[in-house]
Amino acid sequence: MSEKRGILVVGERKDGALAKVTLESLTQARALAAGLGGPVSVALAAEKTAPLLAQAARYGAERAYVAESPELAVFRPGPFADAALAAVRAADPAVVLFANTADQREVASRVATHLGVGLLGDATGIELREGRLVVSHPCFGGSLITEKEAVAVPALVTVRANIFARQEAPTEPQVVSLSVDFTPSGLLARVLEVVEENAGMVSLEEAQIIVSGGRGLGGPEHFRLIHELAEVLGAAVGASRAAVDAGWKPHQYQVGQTGKTVSPKLYIACGISGAIQHRAGMQTAHYVVAINKDPEAPIFSFADFGVVGDLHTIVPALTEEIRRRRAAA
Amino acid sequence: MNIVVCVKQVVDTAAEKRLDPASFRLDRSGENVLNPYDEYAVEEAVRLKEKHGGEVTVLCLGPDTAAEAVRKALAMGADRAVLVTDPALAGSDTQGTAYALARALEQLEFDLVLLGLMSTDAQTGQVPAALSALLDLPLLSVLNRVEVEGALLRVHRQTDQGYVAYECPLPAVLSVAKGINEPRYPALKGIMGAKKKPLEVKDAAALGLDPSRMGAGGAKTRVLAVRVPEPRKPGVKVEDDGDGARKIADFLVQEKLL
Ligand SMILES: Cc1cc2nc3c(=O)[nH]c(=O)nc-3n(C[C@H](O)[C@H](O)[C@H](O)COP(=O)(O)OP(=O)(O)OC[C@H]3O[C@@H](n4cnc5c(N)ncnc54)[C@H](O)[C@@H]3O)c2cc1C
Ligand SMILES: Nc1ncnc2c1ncn2[C@@H]1O[C@H](COP(=O)(O)O)[C@@H](O)[C@H]1O
Repeated sequence: MSEKRGILVVGERKDGALAKVTLESLTQARALAAGLGGPVSVALAAEKTAPLLAQAARYGAERAYVAESPELAVFRPGPFADAALAAVRAADPAVVLFANTADQREVASRVATHLGVGLLGDATGIELREGRLVVSHPCFGGSLITEKEAVAVPALVTVRANIFARQEAPTEPQVVSLSVDFTPSGLLARVLEVVEENAGMVSLEEAQIIVSGGRGLGGPEHFRLIHELAEVLGAAVGASRAAVDAGWKPHQYQVGQTGKTVSPKLYIACGISGAIQHRAGMQTAHYVVAINKDPEAPIFSFADFGVVGDLHTIVPALTEEIRRRRAAA
Repeated sequence: MNIVVCVKQVVDTAAEKRLDPASFRLDRSGENVLNPYDEYAVEEAVRLKEKHGGEVTVLCLGPDTAAEAVRKALAMGADRAVLVTDPALAGSDTQGTAYALARALEQLEFDLVLLGLMSTDAQTGQVPAALSALLDLPLLSVLNRVEVEGALLRVHRQTDQGYVAYECPLPAVLSVAKGINEPRYPALKGIMGAKKKPLEVKDAAALGLDPSRMGAGGAKTRVLAVRVPEPRKPGVKVEDDGDGARKIADFLVQEKLL
C-alpha cells in the first residue's frame, strides 16, 4: 500500500471565484475522505488567491496549497499544470479531483503525464467499493457507461459539473505556500488580450436550468423568446447545432456531441428534433421538457414532459405564466 | 512549414453499439468515421499549407482498418500519412496513446502539430495535453483561429465569454475547436488522388516503444465494467390546445422546479 493519503481538489476559477464544480468536488471529497482517510486539501493557483481561499474554507478544505504568480493571471495549460503538479507533490494525496472543464482537462492530463499515472476523465460517478475508487464515465455519445479504476497512485479524476451536490462545512485551512518552477516551454505562449464579446453568458456546464433553441425557431431574431424564458427562470441559453451552424448563435452555445456536455436539473428544448448527437450532450439532464410541433420528433421519446405545438405561441405564454405565478406567490 | 495532424478513427455515434459483455470490448465493425473534431484539424492544416507551403502529414494510431479515416484526411488535401498499428497497442489508454504518438512524431519533421479537441468515442480530450508534455512543447488549445507569421503563431482560444489571444513561437502543439473552419468535402479527384499518396505503416518495434508503457498492460487505468445506461423513458406528451404553457408550468411546479 502507498503512503499517499487524502484527497486534493484542484480549484477551477470562474469569474474571479471558485467554479461551482470545485465546490461540488470539495463536498464529494469530504464524503470520500470519510472512507479513504486523510485530509481534504485544495490547490489554488492565481495571481491573488485570497478570495478563492476564503471560499474553499467555507466548503471544508482542511489544507490549502497556494501558488501565486503573475504567470497565473490568465489561463495557459503549461504554467497551470506546473502549479497543480507542485501542489500534488506537496500534498502527496491518494486521489486528485480536477474539474472536467476545457482548462482543467489539459492541466490534469499534463499532470498525469508528468507523474506517469492514469487519468479518469469526465466522471459522473465516484464511489468507494471495498476501499477501491471506482469512477463512471459516459462514452460513445452517452450510449455506454464505463466503470474504471486507476492502476497507479495518485488516482487523477476530472469531475463533470452538476453531478455532485455542494454543501458548506466551514473550516480554517492550514495554508501552504508553493513556489512553482515553471516549465520554460509552457511560458513560451504569451497572452496578448482577453476579449469578452459574449459578456453575461451564463455557463452552460454550471447552469441548473437551460433553455435551448433549435432550427424550429425559424430565425435568429426568435432567440429573443428563448432569452426571455431563460431570464424568468434564471437559466442559461443553449442551442442546437443546426441553430449554431445557421449563424443564429455563436459556437459557445452549442449543446451536443460537438458542443457542450451539460447536466442541468432542467433542460427545456424548443424547436429541437432531438437527434442523437444533440442528445449525447444533454441526456444526463434530470428533467427534459420539449416543445415541438412534430408529434413524431425523437425528442419526445425521452422528454419527461412534451408539448406538441407551436413554440412561437407556447414559449412566450410560458414566460408570461411563470412571471404571473412568481408575482402571485 | 511542415504540419503533422493527428487523427483518430471512431465509431459513428449514430451507429448501433454492440458490446461483448465478457471482454467489455466494443464491436468496432459498425460504421467507423474520421473523428468529427479531427476534420477541423485536417482542414486547418491544409489551409495553412495552402497559404504558407510545406507538407501535411497525417498521423494515426489504430487498427489497420483505421487506414480508411487516414485516406479521408488525405483526400481532404494532406500529403502523406503514417499509420501506427500493432496488436500490442490495443487497449492503450490516453497516456499510452500520447506516448506512442510522441515517439512517432520524433521520427517526423514538423513545425506544428494539430489535433482535434476531443475524440467523440472516448470523449476524454486528454491526448493533446499529454502529447505536449511528452514533447516538451507549448500547448495552445480549443482554438477557433490560427495564424502564422514567420516563426510566430497568433491564435484565439475559445472561451464562454469570447476568446483569449495568444502569441507563441513555433513549434507547438495545437488543438482546434468546432467553428474554426468549415471542413471541405473531399472531391472525387481528391479521393482518387488519396489512393496514390504515401501511407507508411509502422509497428511498435519501428518506433522503439517500451512495452510497459503501451497497450492494455501498460495502461494506467483499468476498465472494471461497461454498462448500458438505464434508458430514458418517454414521459407525458400533450397536445397544445392553447393551454400548453400552463401544463408545462404545472409540471414544473409538480416536480418542484419552479
Ligand atoms: C458529427 C456530427 C456531430 C453533431 N453534433 C451535434 C451537436 O453537438 N449538437 C447538435 O445539436 N447537433 C449535432 N449534430 C447535428 C444533429 O444530427 C442534428 O442535425 C441537429 O441536432 C438538428 O438540430 P435541430 O433539432 O435544431 O434541427 P431539426 O432537426 O431541423 O429540428 C427542428 C425541429 O423543430 C421543430 N419545429 C419547427 N418549427 C416549429 C415550431 N414553430 N414550433 C415548434 N417546433 C417546431 C421541427 O418539428 C423539428 O423537430 C451533429 C451531427 C453530426 C453528423
Ligand atoms: N489513436 C489516435 N491516433 C491519432 N490521434 C489521436 C488518437 N487518439 C486521439 N488522437 C488525437 O487527440 C485528439 C483528442 O482525443 P482524445 O484525447 O482521445 O479525446 C483527437 O481529436 C486526435 O486529434
